[in-house]
Amino acid sequence: MLTKLAGGRLYDPANGIDGEVRDLYIHDGRILHHPPPGETPGQTFDLDGKLVMAGAIDMHTHIGGGKVNIARAMLPEDQRAHRRNRTASTRSGGGHAAPSTLAAGYRYAEMGYTCCFEPAILPINARQSHMEMADTPMVDTGGYAMLGNDDLLLQLMSEGASQETINDYVAWTLHATQCIGIKVVNPGGINAFKFNARTLDVDEQHPHYPLKPRDIIRTLSRAVAELGVPHPLHVHASNLGVPGNRTATLATMAAAEGFPIHLTHIQFHAYGTEGDRHFSSAAAEIAEAVNRLKNVTIDVGQVMFGQTVTISGDSMHQHANHHHAHPHKWTCMDIECEAGCGVIPFRYKDKNFVNALQWAIGLELFLMVEDPWRVFLTTDHPNGAPFTSYPHLIRLLMDRSFRNDQLARIHPDAAAMSLLGSLEREYSLYEIAIMTRAAPARILGLTDRGHLGSGARADLCVYRPSDDAERIFSSPMLVFKNGEVVVEEGRITRPLQGTTQVVRPEYDRAIERRIGDWFDRHHTVRLANFGISDAEMAEGIGSPVEVHPCRPRSVT
Amino acid sequence: MSALTLRLRECPRQRIDLSGFTSDALAGKSLADIQALPLWVGNRQMPAGDLFIIHGHDSDHIRIESESDRLDGIGSGMTRGSIRIQGHAGAYLGRGMRGGEIQVEGDASLFAGTGMTGGLLRIGGNAGDFLGAAIPGERRGLRGGRIEVRGNAGERVGDRQRRGMILIAGNAGDYCGSRMGAGTILVLGQTGANVGFAMRRGTILLTSAPELPPTFNDNGPQDLSVLTLLAKSLPSPFDQIGERGTRVQRWLGDLGHGGQGEVLAWPPLT
Repeated sequence: MLTKLAGGRLYDPANGIDGEVRDLYIHDGRILHHPPPGETPGQTFDLDGKLVMAGAIDMHTHIGGGKVNIARAMLPEDQRAHRRNRTASTRSGGGHAAPSTLAAGYRYAEMGYTCCFEPAILPINARQSHMEMADTPMVDTGGYAMLGNDDLLLQLMSEGASQETINDYVAWTLHATQCIGIKVVNPGGINAFKFNARTLDVDEQHPHYPLKPRDIIRTLSRAVAELGVPHPLHVHASNLGVPGNRTATLATMAAAEGFPIHLTHIQFHAYGTEGDRHFSSAAAEIAEAVNRLKNVTIDVGQVMFGQTVTISGDSMHQHANHHHAHPHKWTCMDIECEAGCGVIPFRYKDKNFVNALQWAIGLELFLMVEDPWRVFLTTDHPNGAPFTSYPHLIRLLMDRSFRNDQLARIHPDAAAMSLLGSLEREYSLYEIAIMTRAAPARILGLTDRGHLGSGARADLCVYRPSDDAERIFSSPMLVFKNGEVVVEEGRITRPLQGTTQVVRPEYDRAIERRIGDWFDRHHTVRLANFGISDAEMAEGIGSPVEVHPCRPRSVT
Repeated sequence: MSALTLRLRECPRQRIDLSGFTSDALAGKSLADIQALPLWVGNRQMPAGDLFIIHGHDSDHIRIESESDRLDGIGSGMTRGSIRIQGHAGAYLGRGMRGGEIQVEGDASLFAGTGMTGGLLRIGGNAGDFLGAAIPGERRGLRGGRIEVRGNAGERVGDRQRRGMILIAGNAGDYCGSRMGAGTILVLGQTGANVGFAMRRGTILLTSAPELPPTFNDNGPQDLSVLTLLAKSLPSPFDQIGERGTRVQRWLGDLGHGGQGEVLAWPPLT
């Protein structure tokens, strides 16, 4: 059937369309700009100047995998306090900081999101992570496999293995775990924690392996680029949350040596040591570096005030912060000797100097990084705040007077130490569409998403215009997924299951012998039982794969 | 005005969530409104009037007549008024109660009085496990108010209790007063194994020799005149401790957790 969206105001940055009123057609789940010859629309939506954007893409949100489940289990009160009852078409769920799979999927769709990426899939947990994401309705999913603290990579690097060997191992990991990118968390640091190190700076030698975090970043970012994986190496840098960590963040950017690198939740890595409390914003310095280094992209990891739970693979720094747990319960654990995990419930308070400054630093970064194509809107759900706070965050970016009102309410010393009040920039709808749609699609290599061009997948949403951006984005009038209306007036009308987005770089299968030996000696499973096949994804796990092309690159 | 009375039409196959049926929530509602209130029965909702025969007007005094033990959450979060249950109550009776009074003639099931911060909860029959305890995920059990049980209570009475008083005329199960932080538990009957396991502070009063974890220190017999005052403040039959005098055996523990909790036991009556 042909569906016509008549008279919508289109925001499609990938195709340079900024608020033009145009008709769109949907046919066979794809967007068309002109109806196919001889077909008349079977259904017409008269949009009369409503805002039309592609479905939003969250490129960094913890919605599946071991850590999230630990958080869910640790916080039954979060589930009890935020219940979501079943309706005729949706199932029950709940949770605010650590929502259940169903609640997360529904809420994402109700905000106009159609694609979400879990950024921290430990290879050994990949099957469980994909099962959780398959259970997350309404959205397409994907994940980044975590490397850089696994002993096999560190062993290979210590032995002086060639870059080709590392590339093969990285590519094999992507195949075996059905992932779309590679992430490294506190490079080498989680591993060093097991050798009793409590810090590991970018140029500090690992206590066991003759390696520095800098080597790991260089090797992995080069591997990802040479394999042609569209998404740059996704880096959770060293010294998470440590005052003065700006130097480590700048060193991490430099360590990529020109290869594409994505620094995630950079707000947690943009701290100085100035002032009486030895905690200050280094957002200006970090933003300047991002503006200068074109191989660097970032997502912010904005902090919002309220109760949440921090979940990170960075057991080293989660352990250091465990005494801040609120409510006071926490865990740090090793997972099959591959990496770590720390889960710490946390309440960000606007009257707390550090939390207030964290909030301001995130907004400073958003406003001082000039190119919206290289900064992504995240709260690092749920670490900075649950993803449900995105509409509020968008309003903070788009509305300076609202932002200044909020600034007046935070801890006065933090407000005084922040540049935020002097920043006049207000994001436009076009720029919001870049950072939540076009740019994530581009950086993940999703060519048929995040835009409204002819032939694009018909994942799109229609918002009612308003002066209040929070109202616009918290409740879309219509959301289409694969050309079908799935949300009307912010309520699910048609539940559906998504697919899993993956990439498949080529590699030399000879690496599997080395990996197999390693598995036989050290792992709890055999290599043959480790990888996840396409058939298992489709039938067992219930989320069929969609393969996106690779495009080998070199230094930019 | 006559008490608002609910009589269960037939024993439900699924559990009924009655947590919305408090004086606070029903204030100002007409009988027709109340009959139309949707209640969760298992995983579906039904109007209250289909499940109960409802009559009476005074929503400050609610009476529930039920032979079923599947009516959960009665009196949840109530701040005032009274609820009287002729028959049994299900799980989560008086959960998060802040004030008012609940009286059950029969038994109450699991988790009665959990999260309670005030008010009076009287159970005529037996209480299930986790009476006045912390439910999973919570860090505090009873935080105020009083729970009285005429029959026996199950295991983990007052787990993580923080304040308030739990009085049990019959026996209590294993781990009575486990992880207690403060407050008072009185058991007139027998107690099970590991009384006061992992308690930090608080008082457990017993009339029989306790089975304590090895991490409790015997302080020998003590003369505590405060017991006279306590006995005078208690209703019947709990005031009978006044007849036992003020000399009790005292143990301090749990030494693995600070050891400031006390277990007091009167010598057996001769």
